[in-house]
Amino acid sequence: MRGSGRARLILALLLLTAFTLITLDYRSGGGGPLRRAGNAIFGPIERAVADVTRPIGSFFASLGHLNSYKAQNRRLAQENAQLRQRLRLTDPQRAQLAAAQKLLHLDGQAGFRIVAAQVISFGSSLNFESTATIDVGSRDGVKRNETVIDGDGLVGKTETVGPTTTTILLGNDPEFIAGARLARTQEIGAVYGGGRSPMTFRLLDSQAPMHVGDELVTFASLNDRPFVPEVPIGRITKVVPSAGQLYSTGRVKPFVNYDAIDVVGVVVAVPRTLPRDALVAPSPTPSPTPSPQPSPAGNASPTGSPVPPARRTPSPSGSP
Amino acid sequence: MRRAALAAAVVLTALVLQADVINRIALPLGRPDLSLLCVIAFGLTSGPVYGAVVGFCVGLAADVLPPADHTLGRLALAFAAVGYLAGLVEDVEERSVLSTVAVVAGASLVAVIVFAGLGALLGDGRITGAAVARSLAAAVLYDVVLAPFVVPVVSGAIRRTEPAG
Repeated sequence: MRGSGRARLILALLLLTAFTLITLDYRSGGGGPLRRAGNAIFGPIERAVADVTRPIGSFFASLGHLNSYKAQNRRLAQENAQLRQRLRLTDPQRAQLAAAQKLLHLDGQAGFRIVAAQVISFGSSLNFESTATIDVGSRDGVKRNETVIDGDGLVGKTETVGPTTTTILLGNDPEFIAGARLARTQEIGAVYGGGRSPMTFRLLDSQAPMHVGDELVTFASLNDRPFVPEVPIGRITKVVPSAGQLYSTGRVKPFVNYDAIDVVGVVVAVPRTLPRDALVAPSPTPSPTPSPQPSPAGNASPTGSPVPPARRTPSPSGSP
Repeated sequence: MRRAALAAAVVLTALVLQADVINRIALPLGRPDLSLLCVIAFGLTSGPVYGAVVGFCVGLAADVLPPADHTLGRLALAFAAVGYLAGLVEDVEERSVLSTVAVVAGASLVAVIVFAGLGALLGDGRITGAAVARSLAAAVLYDVVLAPFVVPVVSGAIRRTEPAG
């Protein structure tokens, strides 16, 4: 066998180095200096290349999602309006809260500040991970563990933040966990990204009712990081029988099509005086009346009924 | 020297193309891994030492390339092993297409097993039986399909940079 001695020595040295790196990074708990350096070095390259290859990649991607490709055009145009609407109103509780804040003269004082971003690359690492890079970073005010949303709902959370690029953990990654509650009954639980299997929701109270079609929204994290409240996640498609378990489980079809995300927004946490203040998006024209009045011509307005109306499904194409 | 520059150029191209283009494509099971194919090509053409070194560097780059989100060093270790093993097959003078395909399939299996094994040791929640099975299937299937296009091109480029052949 050729070069046995020397080759084995070199291989041993390399493996040892790799083990050392693994140990160091494992102890730093992720997002370590090397990874940030990777973001700083490779991020700009990926960005530049993405400018050229995005149409190519989108073309291939679109072969699987021709419908969503069309829908995306419309979505981009409506994104701003939709984000505002979604953030302002998802259910009656939200509307009540807005009214309460009116009373406190807090409406419009603070809100979600959203940094818009575009997805430049996706990760897979031998098909185990579901991550993406977006083209904003610490220079744009993005920090680790912040909520990432798009016009349809929850996309994920930020992980390693570089100067101009940020890695985000997508909602369908097996490591993804977010506090969630059923919008209708306020019952809390958690959603688990399932990788290539379906996303699941575990309802903490196994006696509480859960039905197919129920909608899930995020449950606020401590200090709203990583997750701000009330962001739509998905809809229950199947309730799994939970005999003898401490929680009941449901399958979730997310509103976001994780294969086709493009324009996203990072909710940049803003300092504020009241914890619930950020629930309300800044209104361009501060209206004197609180919003829970059902609007007469509101065909798309989610106000008015105690049960949130069926939100449109994010994409007409089939699930991945 | 020229070979090192070539290796860097090929590998960087492969890594960025992987992240920017290939990973956008929604395929059943998973996606092919361009950088792994490059490592195999380097090993097959230049022997175990070069294969291991290139594999380590490619793996490390893939570990820190932005969307990656696992413990740093896992791919470096897996790819170094793969490059070394592919290099051991270098001696086979007349490689048929079939033997190259066999090497690619074997090397892909090794890469996934080492990467997943390390992940399991470190308590990575992504490593489940179903995920490993799916990843193994995807690695073998797609890497083998892509190998006849990638490996000869990379090997040819390497041979052209070394005068001794």
